[in-house]
Amino acid sequence: MSHLSVVLDLPPAQWHRSARHDPPLALPDFLSHVLVFLNAHIANNAENSLAVFGAFPGTSPLLYSSADPVPARLPIDSNSYPSFVHLDHAVARRVTAVLDSLGTDRAPEPSALVGAITKALCYVNRLAISPSSAAPAEHVLPDPRLLILSVSPDLATSYIPIMNSVFSAQKLKVTIDVCQVFGPDTVFLQQAAHLTGGSYIHLERRDALLQYLIMAFLPPPPIRKVLAVPTQDKVDFRAACFCHKNIVDIGFVCSVCLSIFCQPVPVCSTCRTKFPIKTLQRLNQSRPLLPSTPRSTSPKSSPGTPAGARTAPTNGANLARSISTPNELPHSSNIGSRNSNGRSHSMGGSVTNPGPSEAPR
Amino acid sequence: MPPRRELVISAADSDSDISFPDDDYDASRDKGKSKGKGRAEKKKVDKGKGKAKDSQAYTWEASYTRSWETVQEDEAGSLQTSVQELMARGRRKRLLAPAAAIRRTIIRHVILLLDLSSAMLDRDMRPTRFDLMLQYAREFILEWFDQNPLGQIGVVGMRAGLGERIGDLSGESGNPQEVLSYIKERHKLEPTGEPSLQNAIEMAKASMSHLPTHSSREIIIIFGSLTTCDPGNIHETLETCVKNKVRISVVALAAEMKICRELSDKTGGQFGVAMNEGHFKDLLFELVPPPAQRALTRTMGAPSASLSADLMMMGFPTRLPEASAPTLCVCHAELKSQGFLCPRCLAKVCDVPTDCHVCGLMIVSSPHLARSYHHLFPVKPYDAVPNLEDIPQPSDACHGCAKLFPMTTSIPIGEGVSVVGRYRCPDCRHDFCSDCDVFVHEVIHCCPGCGK
Repeated sequence: MSHLSVVLDLPPAQWHRSARHDPPLALPDFLSHVLVFLNAHIANNAENSLAVFGAFPGTSPLLYSSADPVPARLPIDSNSYPSFVHLDHAVARRVTAVLDSLGTDRAPEPSALVGAITKALCYVNRLAISPSSAAPAEHVLPDPRLLILSVSPDLATSYIPIMNSVFSAQKLKVTIDVCQVFGPDTVFLQQAAHLTGGSYIHLERRDALLQYLIMAFLPPPPIRKVLAVPTQDKVDFRAACFCHKNIVDIGFVCSVCLSIFCQPVPVCSTCRTKFPIKTLQRLNQSRPLLPSTPRSTSPKSSPGTPAGARTAPTNGANLARSISTPNELPHSSNIGSRNSNGRSHSMGGSVTNPGPSEAPR
Repeated sequence: MPPRRELVISAADSDSDISFPDDDYDASRDKGKSKGKGRAEKKKVDKGKGKAKDSQAYTWEASYTRSWETVQEDEAGSLQTSVQELMARGRRKRLLAPAAAIRRTIIRHVILLLDLSSAMLDRDMRPTRFDLMLQYAREFILEWFDQNPLGQIGVVGMRAGLGERIGDLSGESGNPQEVLSYIKERHKLEPTGEPSLQNAIEMAKASMSHLPTHSSREIIIIFGSLTTCDPGNIHETLETCVKNKVRISVVALAAEMKICRELSDKTGGQFGVAMNEGHFKDLLFELVPPPAQRALTRTMGAPSASLSADLMMMGFPTRLPEASAPTLCVCHAELKSQGFLCPRCLAKVCDVPTDCHVCGLMIVSSPHLARSYHHLFPVKPYDAVPNLEDIPQPSDACHGCAKLFPMTTSIPIGEGVSVVGRYRCPDCRHDFCSDCDVFVHEVIHCCPGCGK
């Protein structure tokens, strides 16, 4: 038996974009793919447990858990397995309810992915410490898993909570799998999957979502050792700075509290430590010597702007490439381009900036 | 059991080899029980003489505590209330902890000073002090690197009146395997002769002299002997340690020595005498978490004693996949497909954290830094909900794990425990069960309701 927690990232704006993108993947299609996958998980073993969390803008409710009591009146269909019907109905009903309650007048908030992940971990913790009455007392939870189906770009403010969740997942021995269904690669979820030994897949053929899910994420971790599960290629170990929440690859770090800043600052904003003026001068002098990226050639401008300017064209290029060569292995094109074109091309692809992405809403 | 007897005899033999400077020791020992227990007895005497502060008894002094009698059943015969009371104690302890972030030195440099004198062959700790020390030192190193991924450890031994360099501060920080390899070969570390604290401390100090001012310098001494054989005045060495801000912590295995206590007191370190095997491990592992800087400043009295802070430039690398084409790494010049790319010069290094061999940039992976962030941004303690009447629409399930709240109120236990089993986040006003309350504050460090 194994436990699976699934986090569905369901921000309406992003799904609207996904439905209009080519190839389209609309929310109803996505949900039907996912429900088949979830059915497959509970059909695998009668003791398999499941919890589904939704990450909506501003809220992250539990959509279904296998500990839920089965409602009395379910549509009776002699051709279907009652557990499947229960699962499908519960998820569909609650997703619709939450989406309806969101309304249209609300300012678009980022989806509460962190809340959903931490709740999923709390749920795993609950299973781990209090065995269900049916299970024997010495019951230990075997290889719990967390699958995140994400469509949102990285949210720099959630860097620390996500990393904290990753470390607690390590403590609970939870494997985190990530499937980025739509949108650019997310650096943080890549790191999460890497650190917990899960796999990260950036979906190339979005109409084949179900196949990806079944082939890569259905087998529990012990079985994956004997399967050829897609591994991550390059993992980006960049962090978000504390001052502007930019994602930086070279940062300035306070020696006392390890806060990261994107530019030399005289006083640490976290622990109020004052830095010697000599260091500031030295670091400011050494900054223009950085390699010729757009950021370092214009160090005086606000750090957000050049990154944003760079994002739009690179994203387009990445997506165009993935469409033109759909039969290639996932990510194989990125590796080649990295070595030949240098860093600015491939690294820029995953830089996200809230500015341009919010504009169409 | 013949081997067993042999063991006892040899323990006694090794005991009698050691000469004691003080005749009181011998007298008290002869009064004691058996010869084999002599060492233990001696410790007790010394301890009693030195200080009466430690209230915890030694293993052989402890009387039985009837732990089962402290647990009370409630009317229904359940142990639930006792369990809750235990948890309440934990909660209160957490509430007492300072909410403000304290400064901790996170980039640490530690020299582990191992006593390799003949006193370490004593068998009052099983199998011998020496073997136990090696075993705990290995566990300590693993745990230490887990919590201090940016630190470095070096190992110095004290034997035959000399300080002996066993391993330098590991060149690549954050690599426990390299440090473990220093103390892997037991036969190279065979204890002999007298220890010399002064020689060893001088050597440890010298190997840390090149370090930048913002990193901590610490010496952790595991000391089994009761004597030290020094060429000069050890108090002068102590003075220079204080001046150089070297923090000395001592874990003594035999008894408290004045010089050891002085070393740790004057430099802001910790001192402890191990009472038994478990206590030895506890004392050693107390030194794992990064020390709070405030404590150091207070002990020293002078504000100048705190380490100077600095801003460091660090690079966050990209990890190359295992399937990429093999290229030469800059550190070993070997063909490898795995590796990390320096973000400044794109050189490929094998492991992080390290300094880039080409451009000198400090390369760390961001999870190394992120591991310490929960010290900086602790979650606010949740308030225990006293009753359900003040809440307009009580939620029926825990916001974290979706466990249903009990509908009945339990017997009031004490301050800090909610009778309705609800704990409320002061920011997002969501209710959590007591399990999630503990889990959120001790493991996740992130409130599921607020998401920060």
